[in-house]
Amino acid sequence: MSILAFFLIVISLLSFVVAQLILKRAMEVSATSGLHNARFIRLATIGTALMTVSFFLTLGLLQRFDLSYLYPFQGLSVIFITIMAAGVLKEKLSLRLITGTVLISAGIVLVSIS
Amino acid sequence: MQNRPSGFGNPWLQLGLSVACVLVSEFLLKRGATDIAEPDSGFSWTGVNGLASPLVWWAILLIVASFISWLYVLRYVPLIVAYPLSRIVDVLVPLGCWIFLGEFISPLRWSGIALVIIGLALVAKPVAQIEQRL
Repeated sequence: MSILAFFLIVISLLSFVVAQLILKRAMEVSATSGLHNARFIRLATIGTALMTVSFFLTLGLLQRFDLSYLYPFQGLSVIFITIMAAGVLKEKLSLRLITGTVLISAGIVLVSIS
Repeated sequence: MQNRPSGFGNPWLQLGLSVACVLVSEFLLKRGATDIAEPDSGFSWTGVNGLASPLVWWAILLIVASFISWLYVLRYVPLIVAYPLSRIVDVLVPLGCWIFLGEFISPLRWSGIALVIIGLALVAKPVAQIEQRL
């Protein structure tokens, strides 16, 4: 794998994780202030744009690598999103959730590399 | 999770719909990307050349649908619960390949599938208990 490919995989993963956090925040804003709210529109636009970037980078990577090779990186997104949701969005984390998340990630990686 | 709508507006039903759309789109995308692959062209790293495949457009349609359902889910369910649950798609894809395409699943891959299912159960159980109490 080239450095370029690794770099693109990281950018694609990062933009996906950040997009999820921004979209969650956007939907929280919409729950209190409605959909015609400048802050909601701004957050939803940024989140959607980041999702689009991630989508096209993945499509470019899929032309070069097998899905099974790229998938373990998606598995890592579960751990990243859980950590960031707890840290940034202050969502409540429990031991049970941590265990479940780690098992899901480990399982996805196993499925992909086997 | 207060004031949770029922029927079609139920966030758990929407999560299921979102997962189903992603599942089908994954197959369409891989087929579309393979059909159109131009590994020698530098521009194709952007993935934009994939738009020449009709399958990719069908996949985009499904992704937009799953995205709308997903936003709806986020309105009611914490990301920390919704996102791990949405990864059920990662066991449904290989299972789909096994059932519909007759692909072989190695023992190691079966153990991976089992790990994901146990993890999903751990994340889902407290949610199910909260739902019962409501």
